Amino acid sequence: MSRTPRPCLEIEPALAATATGDGAAAEAARVEAHCAACAPCRATFARYRDLGRAVAAWWRAPSPPPDAARARLESRLADLRKRTLLYRIFPSPLGALLIARSEEGVSLVEYLAGGDLRHSRLLGAAGVEAMEDGAEVETLYRELLEYLGHKRTRLEWPLDLRLARSDFHRRVLAATAAIPYGAVMSYAGVACEIGQPAAVRAVAQALRWNPLPIVVPCHRVVGASGGLTGYAGDRIALKQRLLAVEGVPAVRGRDDYRIPRDAMYARTPGSAEYCLPSCACLGHVEHPHRIVRFASRACAEAAGLAPCTDCRPDLHPLAR
Amino acid sequence: MSVMGQPPFDAVVAAHHGEIHRYLQRTTARGSEAEDLAQETFLRAYRAYRTLTPDANVRAWLFTIATNLTRNHFRAEGRRRRAFAEVRVTRAAAVADGPEDAALASEARARVEAVVARLPLKQRLAFLLRRVHDLDYDTIARSLDCSSDSARAHVFQALRKIRLGLDGQEIPAPGVTR
Repeated sequence: MSRTPRPCLEIEPALAATATGDGAAAEAARVEAHCAACAPCRATFARYRDLGRAVAAWWRAPSPPPDAARARLESRLADLRKRTLLYRIFPSPLGALLIARSEEGVSLVEYLAGGDLRHSRLLGAAGVEAMEDGAEVETLYRELLEYLGHKRTRLEWPLDLRLARSDFHRRVLAATAAIPYGAVMSYAGVACEIGQPAAVRAVAQALRWNPLPIVVPCHRVVGASGGLTGYAGDRIALKQRLLAVEGVPAVRGRDDYRIPRDAMYARTPGSAEYCLPSCACLGHVEHPHRIVRFASRACAEAAGLAPCTDCRPDLHPLAR
Repeated sequence: MSVMGQPPFDAVVAAHHGEIHRYLQRTTARGSEAEDLAQETFLRAYRAYRTLTPDANVRAWLFTIATNLTRNHFRAEGRRRRAFAEVRVTRAAAVADGPEDAALASEARARVEAVVARLPLKQRLAFLLRRVHDLDYDTIARSLDCSSDSARAHVFQALRKIRLGLDGQEIPAPGVTR
């Protein structure tokens, strides 16, 4: 090697680059001038050129696609997709809200203190990969704002209850989701609906951990005597605001808000009609907890109910 | 779940998995490693895909991820190699016995494979990215954490070693290699 003349050593990088089609124009001119006068470098140039071509021909040619490897990759990707929750934190009249969705549906709506992701349930959730992606939850957010602004009474989103803690939890959420807009039911009523009338406290706990507040309207579940009792921990004022959005009045008491049940229309279990609170039929209900109370005739009728033909709430509406 | 401005990720896999897998087979010279690294490349890409700008060069980006993973892999491998000195021998043998040896029709090709397998990692990666996968030097420099000039120098060193490794051996013209 030491016998190679210095100019040849120095030009070799440019020579190799030019021969393999990588050289700059100025380099190419220099290489050409050198090769014109240097036979060994002409040969080296040809070697590099052939080498570049041969390597490209050998290795660029597509080898058969690794089908099995591809299938294994697809299956891991599918698994990752299933675990993925796309989220974004939005400002709202109720404070910072995190909204997350999966392939199946919306999976988390969370009041996030200070908008800080570190407080989110997403981080601790097992088997979940959280990825921020505003585009995917933007529509949900806009509909939620419309809901809070009285421009929409339904959030008909597909739900993904994966963050619920148990089957019991999911049943409580399903029963709660069935309470219509502008209506309330008691915790004991929800316990009756899922066939476990004694599980009132467990129902309250389950709703406290509702992964989908507002969407699964746990704010429509109140105490047996009309007290709001609790919401997402100690956010009673939020509960009162959400009920106010739906026209459900709540009177401020000494240490709680209270729903004036005798100023609301009532639907007895299984009935297709709504009654005045004074209707005689309310006295014969087997499970009084299961009575659903409506803030207005409009809400009752939007839920598909007809006025009771005995007490005629249509002829004697409640004073507002 | 498509992202505006980018094709769905399935299309990315369909378009690039074959090439990335082939690249990794040459960088690692072991089939199982290549498959693991290719999987990891696309799982990472999936996680970061929605943060890409609409005009991003997805192919170059995938090569950058694959290259980074390869380098991390060999960093760990280097630690193992100090513990088990014979790894290098195993790897060199694996090239010759690999699933593609049927395609190694020419002796020149086998020699080139052997030289490439013994190249220092950065030279090997730079050479493959440039000469086989035709990526530009800016992308290669980004992938290798070096300047564009260093990337060029790596490619040259690789070419030079291959040329010297062939030492008088005839290089078949393209098209008559098999």
